Amino acid sequence: MLNYLLICRSVTYAQRTARALDRTGITAVVTRTPKELTIDGCSYCVRIPGRHMTEALVAIKNAGLPPARVFAQSENGLFGEFSDEE
Amino acid sequence: MKNNVYLDNAATTLIKPRAVAAAMKNAVGTLASPGRGGHAASMRAAEIAFDCRELAAQLFNVSDPSNVIFTSNATHGLNIAVKALAKRGSRVLVSGYEHNSVMRPLRAAGAELIIARSELFEPESAVFEFERRLDAGGIDLVVTTAMSNVFGFILPVERVAALCRERGVPLIIDASQSAGSLPLDFDALGADFIAMPGHKGLYGPQGTGLLLCRDYTDGIIQGGSGSNSLSDTMPDFLPDGLEAGTHNMPGIAGLREGLKFVLSRGVAQIGAHAARLISIARRELASVPGVTVFGSDRAQGGVLSFTLENLGCEDIAERLNERGIAVRAGLHCAPEAHRTAGTISRGTVRASVSAFNTERDIAKLISVVKRLQKF
Repeated sequence: MLNYLLICRSVTYAQRTARALDRTGITAVVTRTPKELTIDGCSYCVRIPGRHMTEALVAIKNAGLPPARVFAQSENGLFGEFSDEE
Repeated sequence: MKNNVYLDNAATTLIKPRAVAAAMKNAVGTLASPGRGGHAASMRAAEIAFDCRELAAQLFNVSDPSNVIFTSNATHGLNIAVKALAKRGSRVLVSGYEHNSVMRPLRAAGAELIIARSELFEPESAVFEFERRLDAGGIDLVVTTAMSNVFGFILPVERVAALCRERGVPLIIDASQSAGSLPLDFDALGADFIAMPGHKGLYGPQGTGLLLCRDYTDGIIQGGSGSNSLSDTMPDFLPDGLEAGTHNMPGIAGLREGLKFVLSRGVAQIGAHAARLISIARRELASVPGVTVFGSDRAQGGVLSFTLENLGCEDIAERLNERGIAVRAGLHCAPEAHRTAGTISRGTVRASVSAFNTERDIAKLISVVKRLQKF
């Protein structure tokens, strides 16, 4: 199953993002950002199921909580950066 | 000597909701460092910390819980605020009722202090003085307490905040005595910082405080934040920028329960209860010959100062303590307030109430003071 990781600058930001998603019925889990995806050092991300990606992007945009970056994680565990503009 | 009647709540609320101690006990051994790991104990701590921020944001109408900063007490928060906004030579306008937690950091920063000294229990007088000083120009910052810790005088912070907003002058509010018993709307006030203890009217444990702030990230200590760890400087976002080092998780867990208590009982009800008890104490003590009471039927919160003609304030406090009543005597770390009220030479005895005090507590205080004044 495809998952998406919304990379956040801090645990608080990730929690705010997760709460905003929860309010729209999207299950979101706050977790550490995999080391290979970090740029500035330690951070947290919000993991969401792939099927909710489109509505999740709308929800966090409406909440004013844009993620620093977004990655898709395939079933084999590999990451690919996701761009909304693709 | 056990204090059966605790009336020193302006220093710290000794009696807390039971859930506070239970949460603290539970935190030790179950809550690790929030924002520092991905394991269950760290994530559990992060949930508790975030929930505490959200409760505070709800109580004080802060639109973004990231702007709720954990501090170790109100003094800590006031130091952050003062050092962010007051520089050497800054002209800072303060009320005549400020605590040393405001005055000392301002003096240490090298600020020039202008005191808007006003009549006790006269909000109009305070507004007039603030407006007059602001209109004279050259004010870089305003700092005011929301309630005097000595006299319980409720300052008109909404109107002072409006004066500051109209003139574009930054504002710091010391809500040490008012938080939890008077309404406080951070977004509506537009203050740059509001500092408060967690261990007074919010019924959290000692060692906790909250600082509500705009997007200032220039703190007074630097260190690990769990974010931007490759950077040599603190993160430029909140709350991380102002929260270096490991959090006081037992304290935050306890504060969370205190906030729940305040939200469930309601600020208006807590404030009304305090005002009613103080009103009884004021009326009864004023009827005792030789007792001077500093009070008013308006603009007074849960704090009352008084003196006795025939006994010094420290003696009164000592004798009350001998009879199981805890009050505080002296200058209460607020000499400026005593200068304003004309009580600097003798000090006062201060009785201060919480949601857990009863009319019976007040009756005992009055009864003992009456006996003291007789001899």
